[in-house]
Amino acid sequence: MTISPDNIIFWQWGTVSLNATIVYTWLVMALLTLVSWLVTRRISFGTTISRWQNLLEVLVTGIRDQIQEVSHQQPGKYLPFVGTLFLFIAMANLLNVMPGYMAPTGSLSTTTALAICVFAAVPIYGIAYEGPLNYLAHYVKPTLLMLPFNIIGEISRTIALAVRLYGNIMSGTVIVAILLSLTPYFFPVVMQLLGLLTGMIQAYIFAILAMVYIASATSAHAGKPGSTGNRK
Amino acid sequence: MSIDWITVSAQIVNFLILVWLLKRFLYQPVIRAMDRREQQIASQLDEAQAREQKAEIKSQEYQVMLTELERTRDNILAETHAKAEQQKRQLQDEARREVNETREHWQRQFQLEKAEFLSNARNQIANTVQNIARNALADLADIELEEQIIASFINRLGSLDQRSQTLIQKSSRQSSEPVRITSTFKLDTAARKRLTHAVHANLVDGIEVEYSESAELLCGIALTAGEGQLSWNLADYIHKLNQDVEQAISPDTQPGTEKE
Repeated sequence: MTISPDNIIFWQWGTVSLNATIVYTWLVMALLTLVSWLVTRRISFGTTISRWQNLLEVLVTGIRDQIQEVSHQQPGKYLPFVGTLFLFIAMANLLNVMPGYMAPTGSLSTTTALAICVFAAVPIYGIAYEGPLNYLAHYVKPTLLMLPFNIIGEISRTIALAVRLYGNIMSGTVIVAILLSLTPYFFPVVMQLLGLLTGMIQAYIFAILAMVYIASATSAHAGKPGSTGNRK
Repeated sequence: MSIDWITVSAQIVNFLILVWLLKRFLYQPVIRAMDRREQQIASQLDEAQAREQKAEIKSQEYQVMLTELERTRDNILAETHAKAEQQKRQLQDEARREVNETREHWQRQFQLEKAEFLSNARNQIANTVQNIARNALADLADIELEEQIIASFINRLGSLDQRSQTLIQKSSRQSSEPVRITSTFKLDTAARKRLTHAVHANLVDGIEVEYSESAELLCGIALTAGEGQLSWNLADYIHKLNQDVEQAISPDTQPGTEKE
């Protein structure tokens, strides 16, 4: 039984291999971009808008509101990063209902890549917000003794971020696979539905946590690192 | 549970590309559209507000104009009303004056006619009474009317009360003129002598007496001494009769009430 889509190789040329993770990631990317392009190609500035445009506006507005709620800052500069995290993970998990599809988020490689992106984004946003010295000063607060703990906290929460998403999605896939062999027909469908719900919640948690980490680095009064609690 | 680091780096690149793609095709257009719509709505609201304000001002202007118009109309109505009232009063006054004039004219005419009628009546009555008296006296006592008048006058001269007597005497003494006796008819010598005698006996002895005739007396005889006067004639009776007749035919007098 294959657990990770990394192990499914579609095409290999020397050391370069094209596995299912990358292919399905491209599928998700293509779907998101295509829908966005199709809808915003004939975007309306007036008061009458198409349903698709309405859907996209609701999505974007919702993400902006969430970002504002968490960061208490203007959502403009965080929207592309945090919004894309949410949309990508949510879409990747939603497509799980498609037969033959394997969520790229079920691969530790993908979740690690996303966690590394967040890990990099936190200092980038922090330095952009208050300058490199002020940002780095956070690591030696309240005393210099706290420096190693702060660094460990930073790394550990990144790992937690990656493993949480991977574990949840992978487990969903694995549970369905196991149940299919034990009690076919009905029960796996319920688990699939549960998987959809879990996928959406994980997408939300991942994006919100990323935002919380970034916000803790950019808000002046947030001296201590953001929450690293293992929620779910 | 293994990490393929080539896949990880590929996924990082993929993710960054997706960020750029979505920024390019999703976030920017959608946010731009929303902002533009917001602006549009705001400007439309502003416009609507401005239009509403304008309409409000216009409405107030019209309100003022309407009030002005109403006031003007009321003024004109009141003016016209007053004018009509004045004209009505003027016409009424004119009509009343005309009526008054007509009535006055008619009354004057009536008075004239009445006076004429009375004058005629007086003369006629005097003549008639004179004739009746004359005939009656002649039939009854075979005495001339003139004789009777003279006798009556002498009788009156003799029975003058003290006060009248003194009055006549005083006035005849004060004036240098003689005593004048006027009669309607011609007095013969005997009658004159009798009258002179009576004057001398009752008034002033030896005073000169002049005789003359006048139609005004209306069948009578009168004595004038200075300002004093004594007379007997039918004019008094006729005057009384006239008064009675006038009273009888006067429209002012109610029947049964007597007016002096």
